[in-house]
This record gives sequence, structure tokens and C-alpha cells, in this order.
Amino acid sequence: MTVLKTENLTKIYGSGDNKVTALNNANLSVEQGEFAAIVGTSGSGKSTLLHMLGGLDRPTSGKVLVKNKDIFSLKDEALTIFRRRKIGFVFQSFNLVPTLNVYENIVFPIQLDGNDVDEKFVGEVIHSLGLEDMKNRLPNQLSGGQQQRVAIARALATKPAIILADEPTGNLDSKTSQDVLSLLKVTGQKFSQTIVMITHNEAIAQMADRIIRIEDGKIIKGGEPND
Amino acid sequence: MFTDKKLLERLDKMLEDGINGTFEESDYDETKLSKLESKWLRYLTSSKLSYQKIEQEREKLKELVSDISHQTKTPLANILLYSQLFQEQNLDEHSRQLVNEIRQQSEKLEFLIQSLIKTSRLETGTFQLSPSENDMDSLIKSSVEQITPKAENKQIKIIYNSKSCIARFDSKWTQESLFNILDNAVKYSPEQSEIHIAVKAFEMFSCISVSDNGIGISEDELPRIFGRFYRGRNVIEQNGVGIGLYLSRQIIKEQGGYIQAESKIAKGSVFKIFLPK
Repeated sequence: MTVLKTENLTKIYGSGDNKVTALNNANLSVEQGEFAAIVGTSGSGKSTLLHMLGGLDRPTSGKVLVKNKDIFSLKDEALTIFRRRKIGFVFQSFNLVPTLNVYENIVFPIQLDGNDVDEKFVGEVIHSLGLEDMKNRLPNQLSGGQQQRVAIARALATKPAIILADEPTGNLDSKTSQDVLSLLKVTGQKFSQTIVMITHNEAIAQMADRIIRIEDGKIIKGGEPND
Repeated sequence: MFTDKKLLERLDKMLEDGINGTFEESDYDETKLSKLESKWLRYLTSSKLSYQKIEQEREKLKELVSDISHQTKTPLANILLYSQLFQEQNLDEHSRQLVNEIRQQSEKLEFLIQSLIKTSRLETGTFQLSPSENDMDSLIKSSVEQITPKAENKQIKIIYNSKSCIARFDSKWTQESLFNILDNAVKYSPEQSEIHIAVKAFEMFSCISVSDNGIGISEDELPRIFGRFYRGRNVIEQNGVGIGLYLSRQIIKEQGGYIQAESKIAKGSVFKIFLPK
């Protein structure tokens, strides 16, 4: 089953002489449960692509379909709610709420939505990421790797359609990076979670089931599952 | 009459009970809500039935696999035995070649059936792996011992500096997985080359890496090598059925770990097994 699909996705910044085509007719699709990595150098358009996939920015033309729903047909407010329910984000800078403890950070998006926390599921997620012993700690009492594990737990907790990870190990040393990526991969497998990760690092991309290569705003390889 | 809020609360309760499997119709009357309750119960019952049907089919599949495994064992063993007896006869060159071929193909068939049964049992959950805290050092040592005869045939040196490293795994199955990877390394490496094994501990995972100087795998083939029955384009002439890596990955995955492969054509490959601590 295809979870994520783009159709001729194009983003142009500026106009006239200042016109920059950041994304040029990008077509890709990701299947349920896949772990895909989008690889490109800086300026290749990979961040623009991720922002479109996550509904953080609107394209100039083209579509993003999440579970067959054209997300840009939604109005801004509906898009915000859609994003909260269907997309989990893991950022380079962790983005945890500093005044909430680990557990509160993890269930925060669920509570924002006014839903009851599925304690059994969240407990399993916390266990898989080895966070049991630090549930009551505040983010500033954790190492970078531990903070990123909390961010992964938070992304998994809402059972989103996709997790988008933007350079998830960009702020971590190489040894911690390996651990965090291992956990991302293994928890993704365990909870059949679809993951799309953006990176400029070849070695990190090797962790994925599929590598999607982007260059000058164009997808040059790996856009489809069996390329 | 219900107000909107009350109605929504009632519907929420119906869904909640449905999820927990405790839903019962509250009242029988002519209201739409009562009709909706009957319909909801009908839906719950039919989805429960289809779930049971899937379970039954899974059971049948397990039985079929165990039948195949039992019933093919004896005839296969006999074919192998008779071909061995046949080989001991005074045969002319042509007949000898034919008998050799029969024997090799029978051995391949036996290996294939065994591997398929193992993967099927892993997938259907008939085999339960029991991971416990173990030292990777002893795992590696026994796998190396197992592969040494094959490596010596090609004068390949296996280099491993013994080092203690704890992880949670099922010794017997994980050894099978590691052996498959070593077997590939030996199979696809040139004579008189070296295979290096190393362990490394991280905070949450431990890793065994196996590096060879073999033929390597191209980037576009790399994601496919773990697929069932996938055989590399450059290895067609080598003996194999393409199930080893699939089984290896399945074993490691069942234990909450994963296998990662890195490779360069003509330079060699590195396979890393990550297991949780």
C-alpha cells in the first residue's frame, strides 16, 4: 500500500531574474512500512522536499498525497490538524518542550488533540527506546542521544501515517548517531512505521531500505519502490 | 431525546466498548440509535469472525509446512543414499557425471526445503526465539569454528581478536545467522584472502561486523540481496539458492535487531549485525 506519493511536485522561489527552482517535477512514492532515505547535497532541494511532504510549506504546483489524501487541498487550519494526527516529525534540533518531563513530552501531541493516551502502546514505545528510567527527567538533564530518543518516541506515540526525520543525527557524535539510527530503524520495523529520513550523509543513508537521490531539485534515482 | 453532546458521548462509548470487545446493545426500541447499535454489533461480530477465519487459515498453513517437512525427509534421504551407493559402483565417465549431478541437486533440494521450513516457521511464529543476555565472543568463536573447514579449502584466513561484548540474543539461531554471513563471505572471496570479524558496543546496541575482500555488490543491488530467492547478477555461476541472507535477516529482526550491508564492487563487503543490549 502506498502511504506517501508526490505528483510533479514543483517549488519555485522568487520571480524573474531571482527565480530559483528548488524542486522540479519531483515524483516519488513510499510504501507502508518502508524506511526510505532522501539523499542530496546541501542546496539540492531535499529540505524543500521534506517541508512539502510534511505540509509545512505549500508547493508552486503539483500534489502531495498522504494515504491518497491531497494534503494541499486542505485549508491552513485543517492542514495543521492533519499534520498533528498523521505526520510525526524528528528534527535535527530535537525540539522538546524544556519545561515538560520526558513522559509529558512524548504524550504532548496526543493530549493536544484531546485524545486519551493509549498507555499500553506508549509504554511499549518507551520500553523499545530504553526510556523507562528517565520518564520523569527534564530534557536538559538528558544527553543529545537521549533527547533524540524522546523525540522518536514522541513521533511514534501518535501512530502517524509517516515519520519524517530531518537529519536526525546532525547534532550527535558518530557513536551516538549509530545508536539513534538503530533505534529508529528497529522501532520502525516493530511498529510497521513508515519512515522518510533526509540526510546528506551516505553512510547514514545506507541504513534505509531504499535511497532516493535528489540533485538540483530533481529526483535522479530511487523515486519508486523498485527502481 | 439526546442532545448532540450526549449523543456524541454515547457514540464514543460505543466505539470504546467495540475496541475493548465489551460492546452490548443497551436497549431495544424504535429509535435510530437503537438501530445503529444493532448494526454496530453486526459489524463487530463479522470482523471478529473474519479474524478467526484468518487464524484458522494460519493454523492450516502451519500444519501444511510441518507435513511437508516430515513427509519429504525420508524420500530425500533415500535419494541421497541411493545416489551414494550408485557412485560406489563401477561406472563409466558419463554415468559418473550424471550421478554426481543427481547427488548435488538432491543436496541442494534438501538445503532448500530445510531453509524454507525454517523461514516459514519463523514467519508464522511456530518457532519462538528466546533471546537472553549472552556474550557475542562465544557466538563468534563457535561460528568461526564451523566455517573454518570451508575457509581452509580456499586458504582464506579468518581474523578475529577475541573481545567480550554483551547483547541479548538466542545463541542457536543467531549462530545460524552469523554462519550464513560468514559462509557468503567465504564463498564470494578470492583464495588466500582475509575475512575480518570485529565487535563493537554502543549504548543500546552491540554490533558484529564481517568484512571481506570479495567480489562486492553494486549499490542498486544492495537493497535486494536480503530478498527471498534474490541472487546477485555476478554470482549466477556460484552454487546457492538465495535464501541464506533472507533467513539471516529474519532471525535478527525477530530479536529486535537488524543487519546492514555496505559494499563496493571488486573491493569487498561489510555485513554488520546489530543486536539490542
